[in-house]
Amino acid sequence: MRVVSPTPSGDAVPAFSSAVERHLDDVHGYLVYLTRDRSVAEDLTAETFEKALRNWRRFDPRRGAVHTWLLSIARTTALDHFRAEERRRRRESAYALEQPLPDEGLFGGLSAELEQALASLSAGEREVIALRVLLDLDGETAARVLGISLTACSTRLSRALKKLEERMAADVAA
Amino acid sequence: MSPPEHETIVAAIRAARIAAPPDLRGRVLALAAAPPAPPRRLLPWRRTALVLVPACAALAVAGALAYGLASSGPQRRAAPGAVAPQAELSAPDRAVPKAAGGAGAGVPASTGRAQRYEAELTLRVKDLSAATKRTLRLTRGFHGYVRSVDYGSGADRGSAMLVLRVPVGSVQEALVRFSALGTIVDQHVSIRDVQAQLDRRFRQLQALRDSIAKLRARLEAPTLSAAERRTLESRLVATRRRLVALQQAQARERRLVSFATVSLSLRSSTAAVVAQHEPGRIGRAFHRSGEILLAELRVVVYALVVGAPLLLLAGAAAAAARVRRRRLEARLLGRDG
Repeated sequence: MRVVSPTPSGDAVPAFSSAVERHLDDVHGYLVYLTRDRSVAEDLTAETFEKALRNWRRFDPRRGAVHTWLLSIARTTALDHFRAEERRRRRESAYALEQPLPDEGLFGGLSAELEQALASLSAGEREVIALRVLLDLDGETAARVLGISLTACSTRLSRALKKLEERMAADVAA
Repeated sequence: MSPPEHETIVAAIRAARIAAPPDLRGRVLALAAAPPAPPRRLLPWRRTALVLVPACAALAVAGALAYGLASSGPQRRAAPGAVAPQAELSAPDRAVPKAAGGAGAGVPASTGRAQRYEAELTLRVKDLSAATKRTLRLTRGFHGYVRSVDYGSGADRGSAMLVLRVPVGSVQEALVRFSALGTIVDQHVSIRDVQAQLDRRFRQLQALRDSIAKLRARLEAPTLSAAERRTLESRLVATRRRLVALQQAQARERRLVSFATVSLSLRSSTAAVVAQHEPGRIGRAFHRSGEILLAELRVVVYALVVGAPLLLLAGAAAAAARVRRRRLEARLLGRDG
């Protein structure tokens, strides 16, 4: 990994391009789960890395890994997007999250039942699944990204997975 | 078909990694290739505070020390306790020495105006009993009298508290004689002018006398009815009563101002007396620096007292905003798909 310059704290940070190469897929995957919309996720991913580049000099490795920092920016960006969408929905009575699922599979090669079950979850539930299952983050890091306690994060994951199972079981029974 | 197990779902999700499309990768890498924005020259508030707070504290201490050093030159005025005791005069008590301007003589009373003169004198004496007796003799010698004496003497310490009334014309000389009994530890003189009060009361007395004369003249008129006479007589009685009360108050005030009150505290123990010494230049510098630092501390405490409610309000507002943001996030993310 190429190292550019030491931070004011003296710790070395990776070059921004290295961070992009390494974490782009994770950030994009997280945003796909969160928004349930590939095109929106792509826009938000680009916006996330724009913000990250603007604030790259302020990144302090002592306060957390690049991964966590990027995911936190992605989350803030997505929340801003949701707020804007909500305002727009109030005006136009249409909401991005209510768009039908694409035919080609949103979450990347999952079974149709799992896709449907995942899509039926709330954004918050998909978010914790993305962090803990898809990206395989440890509980502490995921809790940090979500801004909640470790216990709350575990509870949220457990409920989301249980709900996912229930919805799949209901689909199978149907 | 059986429902999938928990582990199966997790494995399926993990296996289906989502890769960013190549055009997105290209867009983001193009961002990275662009020249970085110039860094903003904003100092982190923690680092700024870390530098500013000690710098301000150092400046405050340095300022206080500089002021202390600059104003610690040679003393121009002797402290009251630094006055050397005068030798006791061997002349009879009535024969007052001409030492009115001497140390410990107090402030001379005005001869032309009525004033309430009060003096407090604390002396360290070698022989408490002898000093007390001599004070009583001196007081009598000045045609004064003792209002109260509180005398107590132990094995190694003792004190006497005397409240004396001395004719105001002699009080200055009396203070000189009293201060010669030992070393002055503390003295305080208070003079309050009551001439205006006496003058005002005098004018009221004159007005009452005029009223009485007029009432008497009216009562001598032969045309008065019985009812009018009774009214005038009752007014005359009331006015006379007021006149008498005012005359008594005037006399009381004149008696008060004709004698000065001297509170004399005599102490025989060295332990009970604050050691009076002349501090050196360094000592004075430290003393004054300490005063300045205390004043600065008072300002800081004042600012904190004034600013604390504002800080609390700001904290509460921040906490409320945080809660609101959390709720909004929960609402945005809690909606089912």
